[in-house]
Amino acid sequence: MRAILPLLALAAVAPVSAQQVTGKPAGNFRLTDADGRQVTLSQFKGRPVVLEWNNPGCPFVKKHYDSGNMQRTQAAARRDGAVWLTVNSGAPGKQGYMTGAEAKAFVASAKATPTAYLLDPAGRVGRGYAAKTTPHLYLINAGGRLVYQGGIDDRPTADAADIKGARNHLLAALAEVKAGKPVSVPETRPYGCSVKYAG
Amino acid sequence: MTRQARVLLLFLYAFVTAWGATSWAGPAAAQAPGGRHVALELVAESDRPAPGGRVMLAFAAVPDKGWHAYWKNGGDAGIETQARWTLPAGTTAGPILYPVPGRLLIAGLMNYVYEGPFAWLVELRVPASARPGTRLPVRVTLDYLVCTEEICVPEKATLATDLTVGDGAVAPAARARFDAWRAALPRPLGADGRFALSGGRFRLAVPYPADAPAAGTDAYFYPLTGGALDYAAPQEVTRDGDRLVVETKAAATGAPTAAVEGVLALGPGRGFAVRASPGPVPAAAGSSGERAAGGVAPALLWPVLGAVLGGLLLNVMPCVFPILSLKALALARGGGADERAARTEALAYAAGVILVCVGLGALLLALRAGGSAAGWAFQLQEPRVVAGLMVLVLAIALNLAGLFELPTPAWAGGDTGHGVAGAFGTGALAAFVATPCTGPFMGAAMGAALVLPAGGALAVFAGLGLGIALPFLLLGFVPALRRRLPRPGPWLGTARRVLSVPMFLTALALAWVLARQAGADGVALGLSAALAAALGLWWAGRRQAGGRSGAWWPVAAAAVLVVAVVLPLKPEARAAERGAAGAEPFTEARLNALRAQGRPVFAYFTADWCLTCKVNEKAAIETTAVSDAFRAGNVAVLMGDWTDGDPAMGRFIERHNRAGVPLYLWYAPGRGPRVLPQVLTPAGLAGLPKENS
Repeated sequence: MRAILPLLALAAVAPVSAQQVTGKPAGNFRLTDADGRQVTLSQFKGRPVVLEWNNPGCPFVKKHYDSGNMQRTQAAARRDGAVWLTVNSGAPGKQGYMTGAEAKAFVASAKATPTAYLLDPAGRVGRGYAAKTTPHLYLINAGGRLVYQGGIDDRPTADAADIKGARNHLLAALAEVKAGKPVSVPETRPYGCSVKYAG
Repeated sequence: MTRQARVLLLFLYAFVTAWGATSWAGPAAAQAPGGRHVALELVAESDRPAPGGRVMLAFAAVPDKGWHAYWKNGGDAGIETQARWTLPAGTTAGPILYPVPGRLLIAGLMNYVYEGPFAWLVELRVPASARPGTRLPVRVTLDYLVCTEEICVPEKATLATDLTVGDGAVAPAARARFDAWRAALPRPLGADGRFALSGGRFRLAVPYPADAPAAGTDAYFYPLTGGALDYAAPQEVTRDGDRLVVETKAAATGAPTAAVEGVLALGPGRGFAVRASPGPVPAAAGSSGERAAGGVAPALLWPVLGAVLGGLLLNVMPCVFPILSLKALALARGGGADERAARTEALAYAAGVILVCVGLGALLLALRAGGSAAGWAFQLQEPRVVAGLMVLVLAIALNLAGLFELPTPAWAGGDTGHGVAGAFGTGALAAFVATPCTGPFMGAAMGAALVLPAGGALAVFAGLGLGIALPFLLLGFVPALRRRLPRPGPWLGTARRVLSVPMFLTALALAWVLARQAGADGVALGLSAALAAALGLWWAGRRQAGGRSGAWWPVAAAAVLVVAVVLPLKPEARAAERGAAGAEPFTEARLNALRAQGRPVFAYFTADWCLTCKVNEKAAIETTAVSDAFRAGNVAVLMGDWTDGDPAMGRFIERHNRAGVPLYLWYAPGRGPRVLPQVLTPAGLAGLPKENS
């Protein structure tokens, strides 16, 4: 029964049409966060928004959380006024699926500081954004346009030793957005585990 | 499920997949027991590689049941395998060679994977300075990803093998094992493809001979280049003559501009390495995709210009010249008085030529689309057409010689040679009769045309027609040129008789072609038909001269006879289906034996799926000029058929620094091999035996 409730809540979500196009307005969505609150993308209009696809069990996610790299990136983004939405599109019964309580436990233990941890068990927002891997990152600028999508950095490995010296694509994009410049690397190939969608 | 149970599962999962000793999940997580989900072994094909030689190493891998490892491009997820080598000084390891992968679609996300036993291969180079007996310790750390449908584990394997510098000998068991792994690697196709991105669709055209077999439903293009196509979208693969066309959804992000690389698989474990540059690609059959408009014109410019030039040259060939010259003189007879009529006639002639060229071209494309192995002048591969053409050319020659006259507007400069229909007919005839001459001349250009999309190929055929018609068009539109032509007079009759000679010679050449195709019996049948036609025309001519009515019934009777004789003609069964005249199958033993005899050897390596090979064979190797020169020079010809990817042949090809076919080797007596260019010309090949004499 508990698994059905979020599904019912999701039925009300405005459907995100197709894959998102870099440079175009990002599709709006509404999801329930780990505390059971409704969160929409449009409510953050006027501020940059980072979307991070997450599956705490994935070794590539662990690479960036266990090393503290994701938390540092998060903190830096939020210091600059950005909103950080962590999204979990794992389907019930699949590896990586979490209830709100489990998500809160993860955020607390990882000492992460997202604005919200969103649950997307039906995978609608994930598929709408064509999120393929965990992690997979998106940056939406204050005007609501998608300005970056791809991997967190340019070292597609699961080895935390590779974080040092890597180019953090998200931080670079945030800095460029802040400086009013176009994002120089707007798209990269995301790397990681596949998102564990339903079906 | 209770919350506790789910948390327990989560912890259990974290335990299984833990990477490193720490985990957010807390104390329950630890290093995965038992280690890896892929059994890995590092083996060398030879434990005793020779100094300056190469030795193949294999990461022989067996994934656990339910687990898969990744191809170089993992698809929507996955990462590339990394090898970090520790090697003795001077020894170097090449890149990882990946076998053709399989597909695994999980919840709408595509994975390019290996689910069963496979091997990543790496070539190791031993320095020439290595002294025999020296130990070569090979150490490598391999980082790779292995997943089930649910979970992913990045694994690290440290592997070692010890080699000793020696003689490079390979044990038969190792050879067999490595040959099986090599067979799973994609083979280079030897020719570049084209890709087009438009309207959200990705289309790829890969050169692939129309007569080569292909697995229909299993065909799939694995892209190495990202940002080109949507990995998870279904692919539609169709055959279009000498191409395979892959059409699928374009990737939503990124767009490659320079090139798309990947592997075209035609069945499990069988694939071709493909590189494609941007260019026009026809829409897959049955799809609504439109042809890419951009870039078509420049890509077509050169083939069309070449065809126009070729057509222009054809005017001086014996099969066209008589028709054209007499027609030109007939036009000149007007003396430039009737400007309008001259232009109309020139246009009608050009229309006739171009229409026949395009018609033949369209028929050719249709035949190829139907899967038959037709080439330019394809109609001449059919002995019945050759015999018919021979009779037609003979009839023209007899007419020019004055045996009979044509009562209708003449196509060969007869007395009533003006008129639109007459000019059109002459043009059509000139183009059709010209094909025997285009064969050797235009083979390569026409072969190139066949790789273009249908519209482009037709433009090339039209260009050929325009070239043939060009002199006549000039005469029609430039009165000054017309005035320079000699005035008609009684000498014209003589000229006509003289011009019959090249036509007779053309008929003779066609008789020879027929002899090659249909043997002695065939040529006897063809000559009987020719005799029947000649007698019929002769008789008709006599009746004409006698001013009798119904002068043409002997011709009708002769025509019936000709058809009756020509119809049963069949191509002579050949001992070998393919290959140059006198070619033997390639083996290294045979090559060594021939070289030991001191004979010059031409060895060529081909495959049914290699379009460049086919074009070279038709345009150069199998031409009579080359086979005559080879016969005169006592050249032995060896043909290696690599269609099935024979590993022994593959190693031989590799030793000549080629990854695949085509490969052309010339062995002058007492000398090492010379690797010839990948595009051959008849003159270049025919000149080889003379170089050393």
